[in-house]
Amino acid sequence: MAHSPRNSFLKPGIARKSRSKTFGLHALYKKNKAAIAAAKPEAPKTITKTVGGAKNGNTRVVPAVKAPRFYPAEDAPVPKVNRKTVGTATLRKSITPGTVLIILAGRFRGKRVVFLKQLSSGLLLVTGPYKVNGVPLRRVNQAYVVATSTKIELPAVAENIDDAFFQKKAEKKDAERVAAQKDVDDKILAVVKKTPLLKAYLNAKFTLTKGQTVHNMKF
Amino acid sequence: MVEFKKIVEVGRVVMITYGPDAGKLAVIVDIIDHARALIDGPTTNVARQAMSFKRLNLTAVKVANLPRGASSPVVAKRLADQKISEVFAKTTYAKKLAARAARANLTDFGRFKLMIAKKQRRNVINREFAKLKKQN
Amino acid sequence: MLHEYQVVGRKLPSEKDANPRLFRMRLFAPNPVIAKSRFWYFLKKVNKVKKMSGEIVNVSEIFEKKNQVKTFGIWLRYDSRSGTHNMYKEYRQLSRADAVTNCYQDMAARHRVRFGSVQIIRVAEVKAADVRRPYVKQLIQNDLSFPLPHRITVKESKKNNSTFVAKRPNTF
Repeated sequence: MAHSPRNSFLKPGIARKSRSKTFGLHALYKKNKAAIAAAKPEAPKTITKTVGGAKNGNTRVVPAVKAPRFYPAEDAPVPKVNRKTVGTATLRKSITPGTVLIILAGRFRGKRVVFLKQLSSGLLLVTGPYKVNGVPLRRVNQAYVVATSTKIELPAVAENIDDAFFQKKAEKKDAERVAAQKDVDDKILAVVKKTPLLKAYLNAKFTLTKGQTVHNMKF
Repeated sequence: MVEFKKIVEVGRVVMITYGPDAGKLAVIVDIIDHARALIDGPTTNVARQAMSFKRLNLTAVKVANLPRGASSPVVAKRLADQKISEVFAKTTYAKKLAARAARANLTDFGRFKLMIAKKQRRNVINREFAKLKKQN
Repeated sequence: MLHEYQVVGRKLPSEKDANPRLFRMRLFAPNPVIAKSRFWYFLKKVNKVKKMSGEIVNVSEIFEKKNQVKTFGIWLRYDSRSGTHNMYKEYRQLSRADAVTNCYQDMAARHRVRFGSVQIIRVAEVKAADVRRPYVKQLIQNDLSFPLPHRITVKESKKNNSTFVAKRPNTF
């Protein structure tokens, strides 16, 4: 099928891009050269049909595939096939497990939370911890987060929490969430307590005061 | 009348406050007119150039024995011999600049800790102040 | 910003004169194109050579070291609205080109004279003993010093400096 041309004409017959240039654009040199498959036996293009009628000569040679009744007057350009696939977002370099993040949007905006891990959906798994500032185990998009340079040494927590954990579920599963939250909170709090003022820091909301401009600040 | 302590004169150490050399120290080598001076900072990477006083802050430090229009090597020698960078670091202005830079470089956690420290200081002061108020 | 150029030109060689005389001129102009134009302007005033029958042999900029503050005396002639005047002025600058630039600005400011109606006759460094203008005399005193009593602090870069502010600046 013809696609819309990538090479336009300067004057009819004189292409804007040379042959070598279009070769480069196609990037054919990058492609693995496939071995040429053995030629398949060609399907017959015509079929011999028997026809009735005395004067018709009994048989007639007919094309195997009937030619279409309609031809477009010009080649209709067809848009290129989109070969992009949806992938998980790459994690910002400044965000590593244990980084303290500031949430910018949603009902927990301004809260400082601890980053646990990135889930397969690309969202960040964070927790307040719940006991400190009321932010539960929660998924956030990294676009709505400021990464600070403060990091805590994260113990092994929330290893079996995945995106499925956050799907809406029956009441009986609430107990599972509470248990998971308690486990995570206890382990993180043990680490947080080692640094003076860190707990109070996580408990405090982030605000901008007079004269502070975000782009000039270090986090 | 108050005597001016920081005056424009040959040998006066200046802080550049504007333009590509902002934040660097230099020395007045010659005075061009009432608005501009020829400055030089061979030890601080400031090229010898004419600069307006609008872009300069006079400091309390002066390089002694600097002849008018002294060449760069001479300026460099005087600056090194008289340890001008160390002398400047002891001035209130230098300390203020250093504090400002330190504060600008604080991280989010650092700012929080600073806020707590200020709160504590305020508490102590206010308590003492309240005591004194009661006495009188 | 003006530059100092050296322009060399001559009349086109002809049968009458196979080797015409070369003329050299040092002049101040913002770029070599205007330098050449000024060259012909001045040359045709004093010699029977014009651009049509002549050629430019060479244009080169004269560079100067800007290490020391000097006092420059500038002799000039200018056409005002009512007549032609001669003048002598003194400037403190690092180079001849800077002094002449300053001079043109000064002439424009004080007398509303444009570039085209000012002719620089001579630019020379002036010794301290020969300085005539009292303002410059003040500046060449050996123990010159003065305070800066009226200061307005500026921010380190333009993008942090606001043009309009609610408070008047503190000047002391």
